[in-house]
Amino acid sequence: MKYLWTCLAMSLALPAFAAPDNSELKIGISQEFENMNPLIMSMMATTYMSRLVGRALVTLDADNRWVPQLAKDIPSLEKGTAKIVEAGGKKKIVAHWEILDKANWGDGTPMTCADFAFAREVALSPTVSVGERETFGLVEKIDWDPKTPKKCTFTYEKARWDFYQLPQFYPLPKHVEGPVFEKYGKQKEGYEKNSNYVKAPTTPGLYNGPYVISEVKLGDHVTFTPNAHFYGEKAKIRKIIVKLISNTGTMEANLRSGTIDMVSSLGLALDQAIAFEKKAKAEALPFTVLYTPSSTYEHIDINLDTPALKDVRVRKALLHGINREDLVKALFEGRQSAAYHFISPKDPWYTTDPGYVTTYRYSKRLAQKLLDEAGWKVGPDGYRVKDGKRLSFVFMTTSGNKTRELVQTYLQEQWKQLGIEVLIKNEPAKVFFGETTRKRKFAGLVMFAWVSAPESNPRSTLSSKSIPSSKNGWAGQNISGWVNPEVDQAIEAIDLEFDAKKRLQYAHELQKHYTADVPVLPMFYRSDISVIPKNLKNYRMTGHQFAETNEAEKWTLE
Amino acid sequence: MLTYILRRVLQTLVVIALLSYVVFTLMALMPGDPVEMMIASNPKITAEDIVRLREFYGLDQPAWKRYANWVGTISQGDLGYSRTYRVPVMELMGPRLLNTLILSVCALSFSLLVGITLGVLSALKPGGRLDSFFSVFSFAGISIPSFWLGIMLIIVFSVKLGWFPAGGTQTIGMEGASWYREFFDRGWYLVLPVMSLSIQQIGTFMRYARSAMMEVLRLDFIRTAKAKGLSRGRVLWKHAFRNALIPLITIAALSLSNVFSGAILTETVFSYQGVGKLVYDSIIANDFNVAMVSFIISVSMVLMMNLVADILYGFADPRISYS
Repeated sequence: MKYLWTCLAMSLALPAFAAPDNSELKIGISQEFENMNPLIMSMMATTYMSRLVGRALVTLDADNRWVPQLAKDIPSLEKGTAKIVEAGGKKKIVAHWEILDKANWGDGTPMTCADFAFAREVALSPTVSVGERETFGLVEKIDWDPKTPKKCTFTYEKARWDFYQLPQFYPLPKHVEGPVFEKYGKQKEGYEKNSNYVKAPTTPGLYNGPYVISEVKLGDHVTFTPNAHFYGEKAKIRKIIVKLISNTGTMEANLRSGTIDMVSSLGLALDQAIAFEKKAKAEALPFTVLYTPSSTYEHIDINLDTPALKDVRVRKALLHGINREDLVKALFEGRQSAAYHFISPKDPWYTTDPGYVTTYRYSKRLAQKLLDEAGWKVGPDGYRVKDGKRLSFVFMTTSGNKTRELVQTYLQEQWKQLGIEVLIKNEPAKVFFGETTRKRKFAGLVMFAWVSAPESNPRSTLSSKSIPSSKNGWAGQNISGWVNPEVDQAIEAIDLEFDAKKRLQYAHELQKHYTADVPVLPMFYRSDISVIPKNLKNYRMTGHQFAETNEAEKWTLE
Repeated sequence: MLTYILRRVLQTLVVIALLSYVVFTLMALMPGDPVEMMIASNPKITAEDIVRLREFYGLDQPAWKRYANWVGTISQGDLGYSRTYRVPVMELMGPRLLNTLILSVCALSFSLLVGITLGVLSALKPGGRLDSFFSVFSFAGISIPSFWLGIMLIIVFSVKLGWFPAGGTQTIGMEGASWYREFFDRGWYLVLPVMSLSIQQIGTFMRYARSAMMEVLRLDFIRTAKAKGLSRGRVLWKHAFRNALIPLITIAALSLSNVFSGAILTETVFSYQGVGKLVYDSIIANDFNVAMVSFIISVSMVLMMNLVADILYGFADPRISYS
């Protein structure tokens, strides 16, 4: 008995860690995934995995540069591989894309222009439920000479400077999916229900990335093995398993027990990562916690139809009244950075030039002065009043999000010091995003995040045409209801401007109006987090929607 | 008996039809249908996209019409298509349903076996040492939150001791191995979730068994049986236990009908690929087809297990008749 207890105590004290090698890498994710049809998928976890098996003509790399993947080069006006033409009084672009000679599907079938034209045909079909068709709709037609099936001519319906940014224009293998579309394409949802991505997801011909799928269990895991016909360098890790662990609270236990070898960027929350990093250091665990600034922008939208918040002095006072630098230090141990506007520091359009951007440093004195000027005087109970009404706002966010709830409490306390009453009312994400923010059913402040790609037009979030209303079917994300004609003008002009310097000027103008009018209170930019084994090399986090799996063939466990 | 069963089955079908319409209408009233969630997560979706998708999914139609369409589809044997996972509902739910059933049945069988045995032993000497010890154990089992217990089991048995896997349903790549290897592998993954689920249930069954047995053991017919000189085992199991079965049948039947909701936390903590979390997520995401099929199965289970319990009462107590 004594021996048994001794053994038990020893095993409790000495957990063993075996470093993974190139034979297998098990990655933990906490978000659900769907089937891997690149046209249909919409979940983040699916997008994360799709980059292991599928590549596009171009992508945004970890350095935020547009680089070719399946294409030999990115067409441009300067190189003469793209040109502006006029047809029917409209300016269009004709661009020549050449697919890599070595670009094949997983069964060895060469990839051709027909696969891109087929993807466009399926995506635009009225019987297929593709969420957002903009990417495919921008390309009016794709032509090629049958003698040179890898040289494609794309005609774009509008002459836009960002015509080459087609990271989500995924090709579809016509030799595998063509017969399915032919048979079921006329039935509503017929193609997507009978697609090989659903019926036979381990068919190698469906994939063109460094890996193919060898096993799928929805709700549990996906197994990837190297694609023998991949155009690029051969994948070094011989098996990658992406395993779903939906409870982030048990992610660490799974990591420590060896059920998984690493946690993807869709795994741990910031507070969990910080806590784990401390334990990993103290216990000398063989893991590294990586943080990278992302383009996810956490902010507070203000309902500009609320009488007290219509006054820009009140909005400016709210910003002056919060110490964002202290907030990110106190709550995130400096792992996330304070935000001053909607563009992230990784974006080439980002500026903090005081000629454009007002940063609103923390100053209780300035905030109080602005509120006094706006006519809000401090009452006997310490709260400000005007015309018998208390300066009070309802502050909402998604319930159960620990980080946001902490930030709320922090801000509530800071604004209380200015004499502003803040009432916290949180809702489940489904109600908050499905009803409250989408239909602008809030009277005060709402906190959530936006994700945007570098150099992207903020039309959906800042244009006055994007204010959700019953007339536009509640489309658009200008939740604040901000209307600024100069902003609208810049948004319309920026897409059609081919001169990079002029585009930058427009972007800076947008930041200028945004920080002057304060329709939104910028809070912080989030960081992406991963926990990796110490021996994993060439793993680079991107901080944007084209995840680290985009370079999975380079990963190696040494 | 047959007439009674047929009447109850018919009643069950009517209840399912009525409740399914109510649930469908309530779900239609919930905010955040699939298109609304797409709008929230994808800023590039245009007003035209929204109109197209609403029409495509039939979300532009009134709830009663959508319900009629759903009934029409399901009556042809097509359970529909999951809007969230983009696969047919049958393919999505079938394996998970089986996994949850295995987990729940294992946990329930183990809990019944242990809980009833300990409950009966406790009832033999109420207030004795054994009874006090078992009472503390049962109250602790009932009181411990299942998610906490699950995490503790993982920390001790997976992280520290490394005896059992921290999560999952079976070893990846094990499918297709010989049946006994697969059987033992699945059993190995089941140990911790079954322990987590059972510890609570054992406490409940123990309390029910103890009080039912204590009540029966006080009755005159037990004294008579003892006076007749019957053996202790015969008195206990044939006479006393049979009479104490009715409340236990009720609680066991209700527990089995609760397979969906009961295992959600356990499945989540142990990343067990069951149906519990799928049902929860489908309701949250307004994935109508998955949620409605889950609902039908869930309601059917409750009603069926009640029917089974009613039939079993007759076997346990011959005085109950179904005429």
